[in-house]
Amino acid sequence: MVKKKLAKTSSFRYVIFTLFLIVIAGGLIFWYKAPEPEQEGIKVEQLLNDAISSERYISTDQVAQKIIGEDPSFILIDVRSADNYETYSLPNAINIPIQNLLDEEYVGYLNQSQYDVIFYSNDNFYADQAWLLCKRLGYKNLRVLEGGMNRWFTTIINPTVPDENMAAEDFELYSTRKAASMYFGVVYPEPITVEEPIVKKTVPKKPAPKKVIPVKKKKKRPVEGGC
Amino acid sequence: MKEFKNVKRLSIGPAIFILALIIAFLSYERSENLYAMDAASTLESLTTRNYVISIEDSKQSGVVLVDIRNPYEFENSHLENAINIPTPDILKEENQTIFKEWKESNKTVTLYGKDIEEANIPFLLLYQLGYDNLKLLNAENRCVQNKLRTDPTNLEKPIANIRAFIDESIRKSKIKKVVKKERKPVPKKIVPVKKKKKKPIEGGC
Repeated sequence: MVKKKLAKTSSFRYVIFTLFLIVIAGGLIFWYKAPEPEQEGIKVEQLLNDAISSERYISTDQVAQKIIGEDPSFILIDVRSADNYETYSLPNAINIPIQNLLDEEYVGYLNQSQYDVIFYSNDNFYADQAWLLCKRLGYKNLRVLEGGMNRWFTTIINPTVPDENMAAEDFELYSTRKAASMYFGVVYPEPITVEEPIVKKTVPKKPAPKKVIPVKKKKKRPVEGGC
Repeated sequence: MKEFKNVKRLSIGPAIFILALIIAFLSYERSENLYAMDAASTLESLTTRNYVISIEDSKQSGVVLVDIRNPYEFENSHLENAINIPTPDILKEENQTIFKEWKESNKTVTLYGKDIEEANIPFLLLYQLGYDNLKLLNAENRCVQNKLRTDPTNLEKPIANIRAFIDESIRKSKIKKVVKKERKPVPKKIVPVKKKKKKPIEGGC
């Protein structure tokens, strides 16, 4: 009888022990899983690795070439304020002010794998921030315009004329940049000086009537002779 | 028979317990560097908070300067009392403990690189890990003759109004076109003058 009771309680004790362990185990799982829901996007280490490489940068020359070549594989995102965007922006750019970057209406532009997304601001400070936040969320094909609109101005819109001592490549680069700037609406005074000689060319045509005039003079002489 | 049952129960319990420990251990391993803020709240605080510090403010006491450039550049020249933590190493355990200590002791940690853009990336990364005592030094640091020259910068300030520049170039070219039109009538006037010369000769006859 005593033995039986002992066996019963001892078996009951094991049940309690098992339940106790399960509860602790469950508690441990809950305890360590608690901070996990906050971990949205890619891992911190992965994000750091991507951020320290300069692969995300795209040069202003490359972007100009893409726009002129009507490359359909990219979209431009202007993260500056709406005012700046309205004053001047790149052709076909979409304005997403940085404070509205993660608004639901823009997710379709940013979170897709079809196009390269190129962020730009006046420099690349805010564009980098936009890049990092979107990258963290796991969005793909994100790029940043290196130097932003300021470098766009100094390289494409108003390229510096190369010095005489500079290499031939600099002159080549200048001529392509100048051609690009003309595509983007800049008009140079120099092409007009080229046009002026064309005007002069029409002037030499007018001496042609002069040749006609001496012919008329010849006509006069016979008249005078006849008199 | 009964004893055998007990043994079975006993082995199931510890098995589950050990399994749970393994799971907990694995999840603990993963949680070494965790985001403390989600992307949306980071963005919100970036737009509302002032995280840029000027050179003058960085000289106050209680401000720790962290140089995020590579050790070679740091050895060459660096700001006074700065500590070198290169960007690729910011997530290392020893550096994380340093950042944690600074946060606990309420120190303002100011990051700087060769320019503010360079310090931007480690700043944003650490900021998302929950270090809200971080600031960015608004300065450009250049090494001139083994000395660090620090100049304040205009963050994201447009250097030119591109629209105005393009309009100006178009306006300039239009002025030239007007000049061209004025020149054209001039040769036309010369031609009639020549014709007039012929008539007096005939009249004299």
